[in-house]
Amino acid sequence: MNKAGERLYNGLVKENPTFVLMLGMCPTLAVTTSAVNGLGMGLTTMAVLALSNLFISLLRKVIPGRVRIPAFIVVIASFVTVVQLLLEAYLPALNKSLGVYIPLIVVNCIILGRAESYAYSNPPIPSLFDGIGMGLGFSFALTCIGAFRELLGAGKIFGVALMPEGFEPIRIFGQAPGAFFVLAMLVALQNYIKNRRKKEGKPYEKIGSGCSEDCMNCSDQGCKRRFYEAGTEKRATAKSTAKRADSAAKKITEQPAQSRQDGTTKRRTEQPVQRQPEPTDGFEYIDLVEEEK
Amino acid sequence: MDNVKDLLVILIGSSLVSNVVLSQFLGLCPFLGVSRKVKTAAGMGGAVIFVITLASFVAGVINQFVLIKFQVQYLDTIVFILVIAALVQFVEMFLRKAMPSLYEALGVYLPLITTNCAVLGVAINNEQAEYGILTGMVNGFATAVGFTVSIVILAGIREKIEYNDVPKSFQGMPIVLLTAGLMAIAFVGFSGLL
Amino acid sequence: MSITGIFTAALVVAVVGIFVGLFLGVAGIKFKVQVDEKEEAVLAALPGNNCGGCGYAGCSGLAAAIAKGEAAVNACPVGGEPVGRQIAGIMGVEAASAERQVAYVACQGDCEKANKDYEYCGAEDCRMAGFVPGGGEKSCNSGCLGYGTCVKACPFDAIHIVNGVAVVDREACKACGKCIAVCPKHLISLIPYKAKLAVACSSVDKGPVTMKACATGCIGCGICVKNCPGKAVTVTDFHATIDQEKCTACGVCAEKCPKKSIVHL
Repeated sequence: MNKAGERLYNGLVKENPTFVLMLGMCPTLAVTTSAVNGLGMGLTTMAVLALSNLFISLLRKVIPGRVRIPAFIVVIASFVTVVQLLLEAYLPALNKSLGVYIPLIVVNCIILGRAESYAYSNPPIPSLFDGIGMGLGFSFALTCIGAFRELLGAGKIFGVALMPEGFEPIRIFGQAPGAFFVLAMLVALQNYIKNRRKKEGKPYEKIGSGCSEDCMNCSDQGCKRRFYEAGTEKRATAKSTAKRADSAAKKITEQPAQSRQDGTTKRRTEQPVQRQPEPTDGFEYIDLVEEEK
Repeated sequence: MDNVKDLLVILIGSSLVSNVVLSQFLGLCPFLGVSRKVKTAAGMGGAVIFVITLASFVAGVINQFVLIKFQVQYLDTIVFILVIAALVQFVEMFLRKAMPSLYEALGVYLPLITTNCAVLGVAINNEQAEYGILTGMVNGFATAVGFTVSIVILAGIREKIEYNDVPKSFQGMPIVLLTAGLMAIAFVGFSGLL
Repeated sequence: MSITGIFTAALVVAVVGIFVGLFLGVAGIKFKVQVDEKEEAVLAALPGNNCGGCGYAGCSGLAAAIAKGEAAVNACPVGGEPVGRQIAGIMGVEAASAERQVAYVACQGDCEKANKDYEYCGAEDCRMAGFVPGGGEKSCNSGCLGYGTCVKACPFDAIHIVNGVAVVDREACKACGKCIAVCPKHLISLIPYKAKLAVACSSVDKGPVTMKACATGCIGCGICVKNCPGKAVTVTDFHATIDQEKCTACGVCAEKCPKKSIVHL
């Protein structure tokens, strides 16, 4: 139970997908035209995230490593279809306002990223709560941004008029450009906090480690490289990869030279050099043998 | 004649009026990430045009001959994403073997397009608007052209502002997002075209 | 609850999945590109951050060149000695030991020591600032402008602007050479990590001019040359240079220098 609580706290505060990790920017910008849209999208994503995390974690021993990404995508797409059909039946208004962004939950970086980095290597119950935690964090973030945009763009939150009578709504916040502006301010605030933490010596690597970095990381090795180094919880950086190479090299040089798995050996071992079979055409050939240094 | 007029409307509408990035928010990841230099942006745009046109054709065919035929339109998400992922993988393999020079230029961007919202978004839009195969292809092509136009413009602006004295908190993503927001306002002006 | 509905759906997805799988499998075989196993092993040994310091296009470019035999096994400056040994083991050759080098900025004319001709307000980039009259706002035309083009170029966060001049963090520097390539004044060069002394000035102006421009500029007086026991210091172009191969780090030159242009590292 402690682990579950820790997972919830992690997803909600410590590694909030939008405010800290900066993932899933497409839906964040697109659906936060009002607070209720943001909340609806967030809860939908949470449902898909929790269920897919649970299932992938249950199936993690069965899915082979090489086809794991297509497998994840099939699982996630199935749940998205289920959720979409449920929304169509029971919440048609929400379905209409979210539109094409419901099926696009499939390619939401959060879901695929969490599946690959957490659910694939952890037991089901923590994975389930990790999904719920991340989903709650995402919902909270979307609701906040949606409320902000709705307040400035239409003077209401959740349909309740909050601004005074004479307030002229800044309509641009309800439209596409406004989303960019709000996100820009959010990231600027994040950068400010990140720089402050850097100066004070506190850990800051997780902030903005998702989307605000170089996008080529995504294409390199898929979602995982952006988050974690192979098998650890640490983010891959130039320093850490150099350190890894250092320690790997140290292991090799500290071991006595021995034969490796493919049958070849290092040059410096006491091994008789393979001699070519004697040619028989009457000439005296000089064997060119590698000198032992 | 009517058909051609429809196609022209789609061509202009999907590329400029409801621009895929600045209006529909699809494909933000590569838009923000690959737009540092005009050259790489143009490369990415080329790759996107290629992939999206091909993908919308394949998605249209599958929609027509599988989903509608068996009345299983609700399976569109699963089937499309599988097919698109496979298609991009295949294109990468094919380019690597058959046209290595093109692979050097475009190949790096291809995996980025697989999980890109834009491709899946276009396929689903085509299906929900019930376009035929040709119309779907034109829609996909126009969407990708709109993407290319906006990413090249953004890259040009980013190259210009690279040496400007940007406040510390705004360096990097925030200033790019503000620029994109201003571009979005400009593109709203296109809505009077149709 | 129609069974046929569930059946049809499952069948459609299964068929599509199987078809896709087969298609990719066949395509994978048909379009297989021969990959050198050694190249993969070398690529795995390289640090993988694609800095381009080796001169090749990323780590995969270097791996290909090493596997073909075109590049030396210790060509990666980031991995340095340990990675070089590892790759030498993979390729089956002996690694030549390369000395560790770091970048060094040959200028110490910071805000207090160096004078300015005028106040510059413009693009904050050393290359651009170098186009204005006088080669930049500093009185000394060969000095570090301090706008940080090298800082932006460094992939390892190993160089920073401290009080108006660029300073290299010797522990973090991986000698990739990016800062050297972008500095418009060509102030940065690679010196051995073991080096203990360096001349912190590249001024090509004559003595009186340099004295007016900067409090610690080298005036080319030659006192260091006369006092060096190993003949490691020479004066060229009106400033001193230390030949690091001959230098024994005795420190006499730094003591005797009237302008304190030679610094301990």
